[in-house]
Amino acid sequence: MPAPRPFNLVAELTYRCPLRCPYCSNPLDHASLRDRLDAPAWASLFASASELGVVHVGLTGGEPSARSDLEQIVHGAAEAGLYPHLVTAGRPLTPDRLSDLRTAGLRSVQLSFQDAEPEASDRIAGTQSFTAKLELAHAVRRLGLPLVLNVVLHRENLERVPEMIALARELDAARLELANVQLHGWARRNRQALLPTREQLETAGAIVRAARREGRGPELVFVLPDHWSERPKPCMGGWGRKTIVVAPDGLVMPCHEARALPGIELWNAAERPLRACWEDAPGMNAYRGEEWMRAPCRSCPERERDFAGCRCQAFHLAGDAAIADPACALSPARDTLLAARDDARANAAWVYRGSRAQRRVDQ
Amino acid sequence: MSRVAEPVVGPDALTPDALEAQLRAIGEQRYHDRHPFNQRMHEGALTRHEIQTWARNRYYYQSRIPLKDSLIVSKADDPAFRREWLQRIQDHDGAREGEGGLSLWLQLAQAVGLDPASVERLEDILPGVRRACDAYVELVEASDLLTSVAASLTELFAGDIMHTRIDAFEQHYPWVDTSGLAYFRARTTQAPRDAAWGLDFVRRGATSRDAQQRCLEALERKCKILWSLLDAVERAGRRPALVSHAVLRFDEAESAWLVVLPERALKLGGSGRAILERCDGSRSGAEVMGEIAALAGASESADREVDDFLHAMERAGAICFEPARE
Repeated sequence: MPAPRPFNLVAELTYRCPLRCPYCSNPLDHASLRDRLDAPAWASLFASASELGVVHVGLTGGEPSARSDLEQIVHGAAEAGLYPHLVTAGRPLTPDRLSDLRTAGLRSVQLSFQDAEPEASDRIAGTQSFTAKLELAHAVRRLGLPLVLNVVLHRENLERVPEMIALARELDAARLELANVQLHGWARRNRQALLPTREQLETAGAIVRAARREGRGPELVFVLPDHWSERPKPCMGGWGRKTIVVAPDGLVMPCHEARALPGIELWNAAERPLRACWEDAPGMNAYRGEEWMRAPCRSCPERERDFAGCRCQAFHLAGDAAIADPACALSPARDTLLAARDDARANAAWVYRGSRAQRRVDQ
Repeated sequence: MSRVAEPVVGPDALTPDALEAQLRAIGEQRYHDRHPFNQRMHEGALTRHEIQTWARNRYYYQSRIPLKDSLIVSKADDPAFRREWLQRIQDHDGAREGEGGLSLWLQLAQAVGLDPASVERLEDILPGVRRACDAYVELVEASDLLTSVAASLTELFAGDIMHTRIDAFEQHYPWVDTSGLAYFRARTTQAPRDAAWGLDFVRRGATSRDAQQRCLEALERKCKILWSLLDAVERAGRRPALVSHAVLRFDEAESAWLVVLPERALKLGGSGRAILERCDGSRSGAEVMGEIAALAGASESADREVDDFLHAMERAGAICFEPARE
């Protein structure tokens, strides 16, 4: 099928990050992937993205503020007519630097918290960061930029959803994303420790619904985990359909971790035009549209809504990227997801991202 | 609250006390005394023009009440019910010309500086207000007797708001002649009496879980209707302004204008761009409606489309409303 118009660009500027969250969605071998694109290369890529129809660019990582040329990169995005949105963990970014980024054309900021309580947040992040995040959140609002808070939910912090909502209100966030952990990147490795119980999810869901009924801000997004769902999510809004992800090494992907699929041939923006990487790379076309689908997806009325779910999850759980996402109750590989879910347990240890000694932490 | 004879309740049904508690909880959370417009009214923060817009538009609501009550009467088989409910129609329409709640409201309109004849002719009613009030009549029309009565139970909460309002007008709006407050004074006694009767009817009549649920939902919908009425009044008086992080830009591929916001972009059709370009914080919502109606050749639906659009843009976070100016 012809390549559709992409609306979003996810620019992973670097995989470096001072935080060490045990559910990081970066690849497990992130340390071996260096930053290949300099600011002029990103600027030229942004111009190409704009020509393809991209409207928004999310500047992410890793931690995008780990790059010393972030101001130039933001400027390049704004010059290309894109709407630059910064996705940050709040360090090493400072309020002064944020002000410079705004001058360079930054339009909005998403800031992650690991928990609503300082000690817990720092413990999950594997580094002191909560205080810096608070300062930064206030700076975002002082500068008149809209603020989105993001908290990844898991077994260790699901109890504190009410405090997270209170924090978002206190910080005047426009939106709070409560995203239950998905089994990508480091989270897959740490799933025993991270996957929540059904009771935790139901309680949190009820709290979110009650908070929404109060009719005041912020907008609350509650992303259910696949493990307790009957149907898969429309991963990335469909493979190669709406969003271009460009990794720090220049690889152009349909999602954050597509490079891990065996035999997939994706192209690099440092070597070819972005348009070719998006439209013509064999890997980008591998799961575009519906031709590749098998039963039961092929004839499923919901395929136009969920696009058969997540290819990476299908591969990592079932060993077959073209099988229906095991998050779907109709998937022939459903049992692999149930097994992963039932493997979760209390008091399991997790491994922090990037800990060279794979230090296990007793909790 | 205990009574000598409690009605029989079906399996899984709430007890009458539990039902009443839930009905009251809806009021506590959603009654329009919590609406920012009412709160500003009671704090003394409304401009004269906002008070006038409210008084004019709220008359449309008053004018629908006897229609709504007539529909309720037409649903009742019991003569005792009809006798009771006809009293409400008489409270509004009066026993003769110049009496009753509608007449008192026109007195208020005059006291706030409006031409009562123009108000009575229902001139310049905002489209959002018209729709909210018509939705109430339609809700009652489509509901059974019990549910219709439940929808009227916002009266449970009306007594308090009337006292607050009388105090607020006397304290903050001395330019309003106190003779204009007669409607509010009348309602301080009528509303609690009507509400007590209606509440008792619902407590006795809603004996299945299903019926109780319908009553709760009807009261919720009624609260939403009152809320959206004030939303519309507020939008007309305040000054819409495009938020600083919203970007208006032309999209080549779609041949359309977009308003771009964090993580979302909305395609603008029709007069969307023309409306947003006027949302600069200098014009009131009503003025924007007027300018667009002039552009569009003053079609009947233009005001309504602009009001809907402003409402949608506010919800999407593309515009905010700055306070009205004198």
